[in-house]
Amino acid sequence: MPNMSAIVHPQQRHFNPYAENGGTILAIAGADFTVIAGDTRQSEGYSIQTRYAPKVFRLTDRAVLAVNGFAADGNMFVKKVKQRLEWYKHAHAKDMPLRAIARLIQTMLYAQRFFPYYVYNILGGIEEDGSGAVYSFDPVGSYEREACRAAGAAQSLVQPFLDNQIYFKNQTAAPGRSHPSHLPLPDVLSIVVDSFTSATERHIEVGDGLEIYIVLAKGRSLQGVEGLHGLRELSTQEDGERVFVLQRDLKKD
Amino acid sequence: MATADGGAYSYSLTVFSPSGKLVQIEHALAAVAQGTTSLGIKASNGIVIATEKKSSSILIDDSMIEKVAVICPNIGIVYSGMGPDFRILVAKARKSAQAYWKIYGEYPPTRVLTQEIATVMQQATQSGGVRPYGVSLLVAGYDVHRGPSLYQVDPSGSFWAWKASAIGKNMINAKTFLEKRYNDDISLEDAIHTALLTLKEGFEGQMTEKTIEIGVITVPTTDELEVGKIGGETGRPKPTFRKLTEEEVRDYLAL
Amino acid sequence: MSQIWKYVRVTPSGGRVRGVPARSSTTSISLPGTPDHLSSQSTLILRFVMSIMEHNGGSVVAMAGKNCVAIACDLRLGAGAQTIATNFEKIFPVTDRMYLGLAGLASDVVTLREKFRYLTNMFLIKESRPLEPSTFAHLVSSTLYERRFGPYFCEPVLAGLERTPSGSYKPYIVGTDLIGCLNFAKDFIVTGTASDKLFGVAEGLWEPDLEPEDLFETISQTLMNAVDRDAYSGWGAVVHVITPDKVITRTLKGRMD
Repeated sequence: MPNMSAIVHPQQRHFNPYAENGGTILAIAGADFTVIAGDTRQSEGYSIQTRYAPKVFRLTDRAVLAVNGFAADGNMFVKKVKQRLEWYKHAHAKDMPLRAIARLIQTMLYAQRFFPYYVYNILGGIEEDGSGAVYSFDPVGSYEREACRAAGAAQSLVQPFLDNQIYFKNQTAAPGRSHPSHLPLPDVLSIVVDSFTSATERHIEVGDGLEIYIVLAKGRSLQGVEGLHGLRELSTQEDGERVFVLQRDLKKD
Repeated sequence: MATADGGAYSYSLTVFSPSGKLVQIEHALAAVAQGTTSLGIKASNGIVIATEKKSSSILIDDSMIEKVAVICPNIGIVYSGMGPDFRILVAKARKSAQAYWKIYGEYPPTRVLTQEIATVMQQATQSGGVRPYGVSLLVAGYDVHRGPSLYQVDPSGSFWAWKASAIGKNMINAKTFLEKRYNDDISLEDAIHTALLTLKEGFEGQMTEKTIEIGVITVPTTDELEVGKIGGETGRPKPTFRKLTEEEVRDYLAL
Repeated sequence: MSQIWKYVRVTPSGGRVRGVPARSSTTSISLPGTPDHLSSQSTLILRFVMSIMEHNGGSVVAMAGKNCVAIACDLRLGAGAQTIATNFEKIFPVTDRMYLGLAGLASDVVTLREKFRYLTNMFLIKESRPLEPSTFAHLVSSTLYERRFGPYFCEPVLAGLERTPSGSYKPYIVGTDLIGCLNFAKDFIVTGTASDKLFGVAEGLWEPDLEPEDLFETISQTLMNAVDRDAYSGWGAVVHVITPDKVITRTLKGRMD
């Protein structure tokens, strides 16, 4: 009887290059504005790595990108997109239009088709025609333009709520009336805040802080952003599209 | 056939006589009738159960003897008859109350627990190799649905609800006495005094806190119930049955 | 997702049965979706349980209002991705003021419905007193825990009005996991394949002290919008609103896809 325990079997070592860092992002397009928001908690498993890790980034005065998923990939991806936008600006002496950024992001994501950036992107901003727009992407570059989108850990909690509140799904308008196709900015902002407080309440990976980016179309009045507590402007010029950021606290437990 | 239960030859000891009587049960009742007197009175705001505790020798430490037993926070019982049989029934009743709590998260209503005890006692009249329990019981309890209720259980396993009843040696006289004294709106305080007066009739020797045991049901107020039941998932309900301490018994005897 | 889970032997260490050589000795890179830590025996059992719970689909939600409660379910019965029936109600009356919702494996839904019918009838006959929600909740809990190591694949939700000692009625909603751990909530209880969606919408729409008609609208919108994002739930819904003097039952039509 040979000693079975002496036989050495081949062992496979395993390396997982990806992590899932939680958090949730969300964007809603208005008629002449777009709101893009994300919480600031970054976690791995049950551990909170930091309570402030931004997931939403200003790209240009009319484009804001939210990234969610594997934080390292997300940060690197945003860096590369920003670099491509800078090259574009040097080459063409203008900011890249939103729909062009969307297509660029698709190209960049699909370039990594067999070792993808493990991130879900939501791009929000103002189109060349002055309308608010939201583009959502999967990790390998499939994308579409929508009126609203939630992604990340609490997508399943937030998206049906947005279906109901933004698209008026399962709601019937009063006789002789119809649902609005776009909501006013104050309504959108309160829906965004409600979505995140709800997600914070019921999802452990969501919380700590909330960053809301607001992009206004060229020439739009500041109606709806004026007087907002802690509003900060990030735009580089005043006569184009304008970007603002709002910070709010979320529960930390 | 060598089975654990004794096989075909282990027929019941309790068999009908030609006249239709179960003499074993009659004998059990005789054992009860030899036991010390116990009684229970239902008042408008509670119940009292009481018994005399007589020891055959002054050398016995009577603080050891317990004739009024708490079954669960809302139910207590007292007996007349054979002490050891009572102890077994108390153990079974307590176990049954806890089993009920485990299923429903609340203690059994008086009627349900009484029925449970009665079933145990009835089984002893029909099972092989056993004799009937030599005790009668008075079960006093409180539950939200029926309020305070007083039951008597006999060795046969039959049970009735009473406004007032007595069992044991002096039961005939005691019941006659209670019939004269009882009215529907008697208060618990009055009922306790009536109970002591009733026991005094035919009491042999000195009635002291050492020779009397009393248990009472106090009906909780609506406010107390609200606290005990609602949000009572974590807290324990306030007991509605309790035994009077020797000091309390002494105070009642002094009045 | 739609497949019924099949038992595959996987060792905790390597992800392969011991003794079978790995196809290559190079370091492999696993893509997300099946995280590393999910390949141990114990989590396989967990995944087995999870897939059974999702096999037939279906969701239930209950909400408390002002002096009233509501409970609602979808109507789909599936076998994985295939829809078998669109009239499978998951909520059953227990008493005049208490309804029990059961989401999970359909055969266990039916078995438990019958079991609780039996237990309720036995209680009412034996004790000849009303069965209150708090009592029944513990009966549900202990009945499920009896099968701690071979559970019914159901997560019940109970909605009812509890009679208070002062004679009024108090909203009472409670949920349990499949082994009977009670979850007393003041606001709402969700269960089933759309539970995460239900959590999100309910958390956004629910508010305290809703009147019966408003509670009906809230629970209906919650359920409909949640199941519309769940492939395993939907095909209409049934809503019960329980008030002290009547129960309002409505069947909703919703998206039929």
